Amino acid sequence: MHDLPQQLANGLILGAMYGLIAIGYTMVYGIVQLINFAHGEIFMIGGFGALTAWLLLPSGTSIALALPLMLLLGMACSVLVGMGAERFAYRPLRGGPRLAPLITAIGLSIALQQAIWAFYPDAKKARPFPQFGGDPIDLGAFSIQRGELFLITAAPLCMIVLALFVSKSRTGRAMQATSQDPDTAKLMGINTDRIIVTAFAIGAAFAAIAAIAHGLKYGQVDFKMGFIAGLKAFTAAVLGGIGNIYGAMIGGLVLGFTEAMATAYIEYIPGMELFGGGAWKDVWAFVLLILVLLLRPQGLLGERVTDRA
Amino acid sequence: MTALLEVENLRVAYGKIEAVKGISFSVEAGQVVTLIGTNGAGKTTTLRTLSGLLKPLGGTVVFDGRKLNGVPAHKIVELGLAHSPEGRHIFPRLTIAENLQLGAFLRKDNAGIAQDIERAYERFPILGERRKQPAGTLSGGEQQMLAMGRALMSRPKLLMLDEPSMGLSPIMMQKIMETIGELRAQGTTILLVEQNAQAALSLADHGHVMEIGKIVLSGTGQDLLHDESVRKAYLGED
Amino acid sequence: MTTTHPTATAPARPGPAPTPGTLPLPAGTARAVTTAGAVLTLAATFLPWTWTRAFPGNLTVTGYPGGLQVLTLTGALLVLLFLASGHGVRGLRWLTPGGTTAPLVLLTAGTFATTWYAAGAISVTLGGVVNLEPGAWIATAGSLLALAGALGLPADTPAGTDGPSGTGAPAIQRLRHSLQAPAPRPARALPDWAEILLIAGAFAVVLYVFTYGIATEYGELFVGFLLLTGCAAPALAKAGLIRRVSRLTARHRNVSIAAAFVAAAAFPFLQSDNQFTSIAANILIFATVALGLNVVVGLAGLLDLGYVAFLGVGAYTAALVSGSPYSSVGLKFPFWAAVLTGALASLIFGVLIGAPTLRLRGDYLAIVTLGFGEIFRIGMQNLDGISGPAVTNGSTGIPQIPDLEILGFNFGETHSFLGFDFTRSANYFWLMLFFTVIVVSVFRRSDSSRIGRAWVAIREDETAARAMGINAFRFKLIAFALGATLAGLAGTVQAHAVSSIDPEQYKFVEAVPPNSAFLLAAVILGGMGTVGGPLIGAALLFLIPAKLQFIGEYQLLLFGVALVLLMRFRPEGLVADRRKQLEFHETGQLDVPDAKALAPVDGNGNGTTGGPDGPNDPGTTGPGKAEG
Repeated sequence: MHDLPQQLANGLILGAMYGLIAIGYTMVYGIVQLINFAHGEIFMIGGFGALTAWLLLPSGTSIALALPLMLLLGMACSVLVGMGAERFAYRPLRGGPRLAPLITAIGLSIALQQAIWAFYPDAKKARPFPQFGGDPIDLGAFSIQRGELFLITAAPLCMIVLALFVSKSRTGRAMQATSQDPDTAKLMGINTDRIIVTAFAIGAAFAAIAAIAHGLKYGQVDFKMGFIAGLKAFTAAVLGGIGNIYGAMIGGLVLGFTEAMATAYIEYIPGMELFGGGAWKDVWAFVLLILVLLLRPQGLLGERVTDRA
Repeated sequence: MTALLEVENLRVAYGKIEAVKGISFSVEAGQVVTLIGTNGAGKTTTLRTLSGLLKPLGGTVVFDGRKLNGVPAHKIVELGLAHSPEGRHIFPRLTIAENLQLGAFLRKDNAGIAQDIERAYERFPILGERRKQPAGTLSGGEQQMLAMGRALMSRPKLLMLDEPSMGLSPIMMQKIMETIGELRAQGTTILLVEQNAQAALSLADHGHVMEIGKIVLSGTGQDLLHDESVRKAYLGED
Repeated sequence: MTTTHPTATAPARPGPAPTPGTLPLPAGTARAVTTAGAVLTLAATFLPWTWTRAFPGNLTVTGYPGGLQVLTLTGALLVLLFLASGHGVRGLRWLTPGGTTAPLVLLTAGTFATTWYAAGAISVTLGGVVNLEPGAWIATAGSLLALAGALGLPADTPAGTDGPSGTGAPAIQRLRHSLQAPAPRPARALPDWAEILLIAGAFAVVLYVFTYGIATEYGELFVGFLLLTGCAAPALAKAGLIRRVSRLTARHRNVSIAAAFVAAAAFPFLQSDNQFTSIAANILIFATVALGLNVVVGLAGLLDLGYVAFLGVGAYTAALVSGSPYSSVGLKFPFWAAVLTGALASLIFGVLIGAPTLRLRGDYLAIVTLGFGEIFRIGMQNLDGISGPAVTNGSTGIPQIPDLEILGFNFGETHSFLGFDFTRSANYFWLMLFFTVIVVSVFRRSDSSRIGRAWVAIREDETAARAMGINAFRFKLIAFALGATLAGLAGTVQAHAVSSIDPEQYKFVEAVPPNSAFLLAAVILGGMGTVGGPLIGAALLFLIPAKLQFIGEYQLLLFGVALVLLMRFRPEGLVADRRKQLEFHETGQLDVPDAKALAPVDGNGNGTTGGPDGPNDPGTTGPGKAEG
């Protein structure tokens, strides 16, 4: 079991990224019971937004200086698309049969992917994303890339801020109320439409942060990166308990951990020699999903969805 | 003197089925007015329309001099019309304290809110004992008290109660009715929807009997209590 | 003292008032204008529309309409026929048993659209309206005139049944109203042989239209074709003809099915060019798979986003036992065994995927199937001996799948029979048609059976269905597994028809069908739960990317946008199942009796039913139904 600590570290960092994306899925599902298929593309667009900021800055700007601006533009793009999707694609269909918003989400996902592919300069192949130069930081048992520092600081920060927001702030409590019982929330004077938009916006912002982390880690962004990442992130959300924001992060970490461990070590299990390595990386998330649905469908931390009769 | 609430020719439909077919009534400030009738008569639909959860097909609703047509639900609460819905609908995963706080969502005066919460605990001691418990763990009667307390937190001008006695034991029902009486004594205007006609009419200043979407009988609480057809239909007399 | 409120008596209904059309014209003038416009347009199709052959279709010859001119000609002719029928010309009355104005508005609109599109296309392609000959100008003017006239015709149905539509109402409301048509009058009963002849005729027309559409040689003609048929089909529906034909087919069910089969089988005989048969064969494969998905999505209401994987399972299974030199399995099964094996493999996977997931929320099925679709593709790619055990030959897939040979008849060779060439494409076309018939019959059988009714109940309100004793899980699993099996069945034929399969053919979405997104779109665009719906949806989704090459790289973008718009404005699809239409549009349950009549207000106050007033669903926001 060589470099187990390194694999662990890799897995958890990857998992934190999944977790951030998963929060967007879980918040939206918790409030309006919609799988926002376009969320993966919102993640991708955040990455491209950040890239755009980088490209607009004078060349030679250090990444550390550019990062806040990239963050700003990336989040702005994601949030805009997310809010736009809610307002113009999903809201008109609220109250009708559930199939319509799902199909709309799929259509939106495809359209956004293709829009970037067709219109963003040079997006037909992956576009390189700025990196933090310098050697990896050696922490003894394992080392981390400099770029990963961003996610290591951002993810816990986001979770803490979100937890405080949801439990302590007025809007946060309104969100809790809306996700438990939207009609009664209205009777409290809560503008549920605005709450829903806020949920979409927060999810989108977190996705943008994850996208920047993705770009820093893998050195590129491409128009397809939202598809698989989105699928895995929703798996993470289900794994942790759909609608549960803490579950989303936990689910993400578990998923990242599983993926890293399986990819590195499954070949040591007799009979599974050929199933290791990157080729099967994406399959483990699916296996995990099936296991969770079989054994504990409400997820690790339990669901948090409206009690619809 | 214009009434606090004026409903004129209200019509509400689900798709093409009209559940409320043109009813008119009013509620004066300080009164308790009750709507009685069996299931399906349109009482809950009426309340849900008044509080803005449903959109009417036609008719006008004027509350405190302000037309309510087209006003969204959360704004109606702002105007002073509170609704404690049928089935109580407390927020199960939030604590009692948090539920009460949500009732005061629109208020900014923290001191006043804290005071009102204390008052709610005085009025319903059981809530005070369990204030940190998730509301979903309460019994039906306790939840009803919480719902009423929560609705009062917004210091409404008019409080609408939808079937507060539903599913409650006779003792609890008694307690609820007593509480309504106390509220009335303190000057709160109340619109009460009830299936328990006896209790409701005993309490009410004025009452209306609804059947399949229409008001078929109106009068003071006492008069209705003694009315022949009402006794036959709703009070179990032979 | 109590006051009683007596139930008010309804005011006496006024007699039907004449309802004006969208444009304020007296009826006689409107008719005249429409006729004049149509005649003008008709005549103009015999004139040249442009001076150069650079625009396809040869629109340069006087007296010989070509390309788009033929479409305009057809449209104008139909307008005149329907005008005559509406005017009461004997011998043509049968054309409009339902409405007369609504079909005319649609037909003139279709002719207008086709003509103006043609003129526009010429101008754009050749660079400027100077390239239009007088013929084109006359045609555009004429079609506009006809449309204006049709808009002035009085509406078919009396006013007031659904909102204001008198002269005071806004134009859009009047337009919407003139598109309403009454149900067709019952037809005179004809002798059986005559009715069967009519059915045959109807199918012949459909076959001709399909053939024309498939065989269009250039994109502009296809667009014009779509515009015209897009307006003509609903026009026929409004005129009541489609309802009439369905009644006939209902009465002669078996003959109709046979006739449909014959019509479809006749297609290859009508092609002088083999390439269209090949296209038709591909459409048929796609459509059959879509029909299988229709069982899952349309009947049982389950959202399957990875359906193409089941097609792939069947295809790979068949390929592995086909005797191809690239197959890792050295067996060569006879066809019937291959089919069974493929279907069985898909069935197994369907149960494996469905069993854990169908007990849970419907949304989870969407994600699981999406995942399965991806995993299948990745799996097929990785089982190449390097990343995994060597089974499927990885990304190169399994090429050189030998053609089928059933009872000595080799499907790959061209056989000559009675002077006609049965080409490879034709052979596979007919084989696929056979399977299509199987799938359609399975579909219809299950739809009208006890299972089908259980599916409807589960779709509408699962909790209520469970309360009535329906084991929702079991029925959902049946639907899901059945769908998987049907796809596997189609896959076994597909493997041989395309003769080479690889993992890239089975994606979630790409510009070329079949893929999961397109399959889903075919079912939804066409109309969930109907037979004709997915067939039409599949044909459209196959032909549009193939014919309209000029869309190029924006194909998928437009596809995504189209899905969003479809859900916003016509979620029930083209061929609308009536139940679905009600579900999506809250048009009201027209077959529920007036609530007044229901409850007698007797002294006991019993027996009231009225509207839903029980414990309310916290999720309902508007006066709409609880979510389905």
